[in-house]
Amino acid sequence: MNTTVEVLGFAREPGWLPWAVQYFFLIGISTAAFFLSLPGLVWRRHEWRGASRRALLAALVCGLTAPVALLADLHQPGRFLNFYLHPNLGSWMAWGAFFIPIYLTGLLLYAWLNLRPALSVMAGRGGRFAGLYRTLAYGGHDNAGAIAAAAVVAAFGAVLVLTYTGMEVMVVSARPLWHSPVLPLLFAVTALAGGLGLTGLLEAASGKAASAPLLNRWLEFSQWASLLLLAAWLLLAATGTSSAAAQALAGMDRGWLPAFAWLVASIALTLWLARGRRSLVLPALLALHGAWLVRWLVFMGGQELPKMGATAHAYVLHLTPDSLLGIIGTAGLCLALYIALTSFIPWDESAEA
Amino acid sequence: MNAHPDLSRRAFLAQLPALTAGLAAPAAVAAEAGPYWAMLVDTRRCIACQACTIGCAMENALPEGDFRTVVATYAVTTPEGHAGLAVVPRLCNHCEQPPCIPVCPVGATFKREDGLVLVDGERCVGCAYCVQACPYDARFINHRTGKADKCTFCSHRIEAGLLPACVETCVGGARIFGDINDPASDISRLLKAANGKTRVLKPEAGTDPRVFYIGLDEHLDGRVDGVSAAETMWRPDHQGA
Repeated sequence: MNTTVEVLGFAREPGWLPWAVQYFFLIGISTAAFFLSLPGLVWRRHEWRGASRRALLAALVCGLTAPVALLADLHQPGRFLNFYLHPNLGSWMAWGAFFIPIYLTGLLLYAWLNLRPALSVMAGRGGRFAGLYRTLAYGGHDNAGAIAAAAVVAAFGAVLVLTYTGMEVMVVSARPLWHSPVLPLLFAVTALAGGLGLTGLLEAASGKAASAPLLNRWLEFSQWASLLLLAAWLLLAATGTSSAAAQALAGMDRGWLPAFAWLVASIALTLWLARGRRSLVLPALLALHGAWLVRWLVFMGGQELPKMGATAHAYVLHLTPDSLLGIIGTAGLCLALYIALTSFIPWDESAEA
Repeated sequence: MNAHPDLSRRAFLAQLPALTAGLAAPAAVAAEAGPYWAMLVDTRRCIACQACTIGCAMENALPEGDFRTVVATYAVTTPEGHAGLAVVPRLCNHCEQPPCIPVCPVGATFKREDGLVLVDGERCVGCAYCVQACPYDARFINHRTGKADKCTFCSHRIEAGLLPACVETCVGGARIFGDINDPASDISRLLKAANGKTRVLKPEAGTDPRVFYIGLDEHLDGRVDGVSAAETMWRPDHQGA
């Protein structure tokens, strides 16, 4: 067999930058957190009441930040208009441009309907913003029917968003790591973990830990599911059942092993902490870390694998807006939205008293 | 046979399909006779001088670090210990089944009747979905425009009756460009003479490329199972020697 050394190759930069990682991370968390808000806010299950309110806050914070990351990845934000002026409906990405507004419209409507009673209470307390609270409360009725209807719209949008984000990546046969039926499921399951993580973190930030056993129970499920899906992908790759997975596994150099081991270890640690049920902050942080790491490995790692030639396209984080500053920027926007929303809107049960 | 033509309305209507077909036929022939561009790369003639790489970059005013074509170069050693140079000039394959077209969310990428796969820069949003979908790494996001960029077979030169810049600058005459609809063109004659012994990159991708290769080693037609002399290689973020 010949020995080949690539003397002069060609390494392309990744086409999808960390903005894409941030978008998929945030929109996934948002949709998952929205679903976590349903038991307490639509089905009115008492044990979920507090966690569901925090889940709704998480869904709003991430849902409003995610499209900003997406627009930033277009280099010029105004370009998004072409998605609506010239849609190519054979492309999953084109459909995404319609699914995101459906989801966000439903989510905002659902959030407003849920917050009306609390806003009315705030208006009754007087103060500088009483008039604004009164206007926003619009009577302050707790209309369960309207909330359920809005939840249906948002749930429909959330399912579409989860579907398109998974399919958009899965259909790219030129990227062996992406071209796997396991990927949309892994994105969905890790999104659930991220949604639980952020909900738990907000729960801890509000000084409440009563829902820790509840959230950890679901977190345990999500971590088992993640491990199962990763094992399924490895099995498909090792047995050659999926040629794309086998190709991706063969293309991974030794640099991948620590990253993969780190991911599995962090999932195992999350699982162990979640099984303890009482801890809230640590498993929540680890769950968020795992959800982000999966997307980082899939997107940036997947683009490092060469399509042609023998050279891996190494990506290095830089202190530039499309790199590390982009990641910090989206995190900063999340924080700013969290501060704005919690400063103005009451998210705990005391506002309903 | 009646010497006098039947001038009745029924006879006229009966003849209408034939008349329509007759009018359409010249147009169909004209469409078939139009040019259909392709490239043949004779790797035996390539000396890896990268004149095509630079010629293309100059002609198309590409930003520093962006390339539409490049000549990948390999040192191949046989089990007997004989070492040699192998080259793979790479560019957009202007595929018959281009995977970059269906994924484009705004329909900015299209295939012309003359076979060229092009990008409408006015419509492109720079989402890089086509960059991901291309199995050949032929596309990239142009640093200056922030939009998808790729080889156009120098469409602006073709329309002026000129050859693509990479063909013009190739010192060994390794790149043969022409109209495969014209049996008398150089590319048609060479493809015929090759008698099916040409190769395309990644045939398993099912893209049906319009860039053909003569003398290309099978193990170099896609992802190469070898090592890279990474430190000597050009990288976008590390342009060391």
